[in-house]
Amino acid sequence: MEITIHFYSYFKDLTGCAQTTITVPPGGTMSDLLNHMIRRFPELGAMQNSTLTAVGVEYQGRGYVLQEGDEVSLFPPVQGG
Amino acid sequence: MKRQLIIARERIDETALLLKRRMSDGMGAVVCFLGVVRGTEEDRTISAIEYEAFLRMAEHQFNLLFDEMEKRWPIESVRLVHRIGTVKVNEPSLWVEVVAPHRGEAFAASQWLIDEMKRVVPIWKKALT
Repeated sequence: MEITIHFYSYFKDLTGCAQTTITVPPGGTMSDLLNHMIRRFPELGAMQNSTLTAVGVEYQGRGYVLQEGDEVSLFPPVQGG
Repeated sequence: MKRQLIIARERIDETALLLKRRMSDGMGAVVCFLGVVRGTEEDRTISAIEYEAFLRMAEHQFNLLFDEMEKRWPIESVRLVHRIGTVKVNEPSLWVEVVAPHRGEAFAASQWLIDEMKRVVPIWKKALT
């Protein structure tokens, strides 16, 4: 199934893009997606532990099982205010 | 609890916001907080901060925080304005107002809201020199 991934903040600089898509097998998790992204964009690796992950407008953890059509967002710790 | 959320590029107009304040007779406390861009960031002199938001998620996360505030304290209203885009040094980037019956809950709720915002609301900043 195809998953769209959006990057925010300096993750756009690290990856050189604001969004991309990947194909993951059924049952694939957020952790699998993150590992895939780090293989494709090694610069994300240093931020692996602090990367925040969301699906739509909700935060989801590394164990989240991806669904067809999910819009995933990856971004660094937030800094509002 | 009444709530107003504005995430926008326009400058924060404190006077206009104050003129729109509405509170009922039972309310005895208004806490108003202004976050202002400092001229230094990690010991470097800067001229401005560029704020970026994942807008749809930021609005959702703010509303979840407002829901939680309403459960924890007897707040009558909360208004929050956060700027995005370029905010120059000395300009406000954040304006928060909490209206409650007593100062204890107004201070506690506003402090909690700002702390939680910095933890979960997807807004980022980049210092500009």
